[in-house]
Amino acid sequence: MEIIKTQSLIKDYLLGKVRVRALAGIELSIINGEFVAIMGPSGSGKSTLMHIIGCLDSPSAGEYYLDGDLVSKLPKSALAGIRNRKIGFVFQSFNLLPHLNVLKNVELPLMYSGLSARKRKEQASRILDSVGLSDRLKHRPNELSGGQRQRVAIARAIVNNPSILLADEPTGNLDSGAGGDILEIFNDLHKAGNTVIMVTHDRAVAERADRIIEIRDGMIHNGDLAD
Amino acid sequence: MAISLTESLQIGVNDIMMRKVRSLITVFGIVLGVMSIMVVLAIINGMNKSTMSWMQERGGTNKVEVERNWDYDFRQGGYAALTLAELNQIRGQLPEAVAIGPSITAWGTTMQYKGFSYTDQVIGVLPDHQQMESWYPETGRFFNEIDLRENANVIVLGSSVAKDLFKAENPLGQSVMLKDQMLTVIGIMKEKAWENPGGGAFGGNALEYMNRQSFVPLSTMMNKIEAGSLIRSIQILAKSPEDALAIQKKLGPILLRIKNGRPVFRVSSAQETMQQMKQNSKIFSMIFIMIGMISLLVGGIVIMNIMLASIKERTREIGVRLAIGARRTDIFVQFLVQTVLITGLGGVFGIILGYSILDLVSGYLGMPMLAGPQMILVSLLVSVGVGLIFGIVPAVKASNLDPVMALRDE
Repeated sequence: MEIIKTQSLIKDYLLGKVRVRALAGIELSIINGEFVAIMGPSGSGKSTLMHIIGCLDSPSAGEYYLDGDLVSKLPKSALAGIRNRKIGFVFQSFNLLPHLNVLKNVELPLMYSGLSARKRKEQASRILDSVGLSDRLKHRPNELSGGQRQRVAIARAIVNNPSILLADEPTGNLDSGAGGDILEIFNDLHKAGNTVIMVTHDRAVAERADRIIEIRDGMIHNGDLAD
Repeated sequence: MAISLTESLQIGVNDIMMRKVRSLITVFGIVLGVMSIMVVLAIINGMNKSTMSWMQERGGTNKVEVERNWDYDFRQGGYAALTLAELNQIRGQLPEAVAIGPSITAWGTTMQYKGFSYTDQVIGVLPDHQQMESWYPETGRFFNEIDLRENANVIVLGSSVAKDLFKAENPLGQSVMLKDQMLTVIGIMKEKAWENPGGGAFGGNALEYMNRQSFVPLSTMMNKIEAGSLIRSIQILAKSPEDALAIQKKLGPILLRIKNGRPVFRVSSAQETMQQMKQNSKIFSMIFIMIGMISLLVGGIVIMNIMLASIKERTREIGVRLAIGARRTDIFVQFLVQTVLITGLGGVFGIILGYSILDLVSGYLGMPMLAGPQMILVSLLVSVGVGLIFGIVPAVKASNLDPVMALRDE
């Protein structure tokens, strides 16, 4: 079953008075449980595509189905709920809130989905345990190594049991050892049946995925499901 | 699906604890505003209380007064003075009055007894004077209607007069010499005392002057001591403030009739004076509350600015929150609650500071200043209100951030 499907996805930006086409008709299909890497040079549109897949942005034209629902036409207010329930983000620079401890950071998505404080704590602790950080719950992000921070970020991304895990250059700020660990976690999540989508410009990293989709000039160059 | 108010409060408290110094600076304007409003309200409250208690002691709000009408042009004829006969006419028409108190004062008259002398006011009054002032003899008796009718040569002394003139002797039944009249002492008034609660420069017995007065029947005064003198003013005591206003209305026409239609007298009531005073203190309060409001306005603008700057600084955090599922309302509530928390905190500090200042100032000025619980409530509500009003713009701005842009922010 397709977890993600796009049809003629177009995204235009206005840079001053000039219209710039970031996505020029993307036809993308990702199946439930796949581990996909999206590759492309900077300016290729891969970040824009990731923002639309992550429901942070809406396309200018075309359709985007997530988990069978047409989300490209949804109002922004509805997208917040979808981001909360169906999407887990992992960023290159971790994006943990510096003044919250590890546990509180992981609890955040659960807070926005309205879980009680007790359930949040329970669920967040369990997930942190699964990424090997059960002894760091009360630490602040700046007391952790880069690899540990990214593991906290992954825990935060999966704590709500989302449909897809979206990672934007997840190893970009890490040394190769820590980066390897993170990719190993993605691999485990994938094996456990999760859909993982990773944006990267590093071919070695991309090769860890089942399939590599290459984007150039706002279009899929190769790696379409048909290939 | 919504983030609850408790969560928002928790986030707000965390944010404030993280930025203690900034929060304190932010809140300063509100602290000053709340403090000044509280101090001013308390001073006004204290002044009103003090004036009221003075008024109450002087006969309260049930009094009506007849005085010379200074607005009348006396070249058109008439005198602002009444004879005993005219007074009796008025007395006959005001049965509802508790007491009627015309008085004629002989200033600086010297009273003599066995070579001792005493100089102060001697006042001719009706027996009603006792009810008028709620002031009765301590020993002996006051003169009555019979004494009045017969121009009796009797006198009632003030407590200080009795002490000074008679020392240890019992004055009752003794005779004192006043001008060319021998007057028999028939009573001594109770001592009057009213301590200004502040003490200090205005301290001491504010009513001591009354203890230095002595009283003779009005008729004796008008016919013997100050022969030919006339009544220039009358005080009338009514049962209630409402009665006082009614008597005030009724008295005008009576006086006009007696004085052949010439408005030589003016009738006023303490009730009226009080209303005037209340009006004045209202204007006074309004001015100071305006000043407080302006400082709150300035404080509010400062808070708005600092919150706007803080949101700029926290753009990325907002982006992260949006990415993991915060709705715009969640972000809006988060920042609004934080602003309200800061201003509310400012309100609390303002109240504490205001209280300490009131303590200090009222001790120094020797003036009672009263800060009631309703004032604390008002101060708190006002500071929270300032937060609500000035928190809206920053909160809207924060909640309108585009998640993609916000995440890109460095």
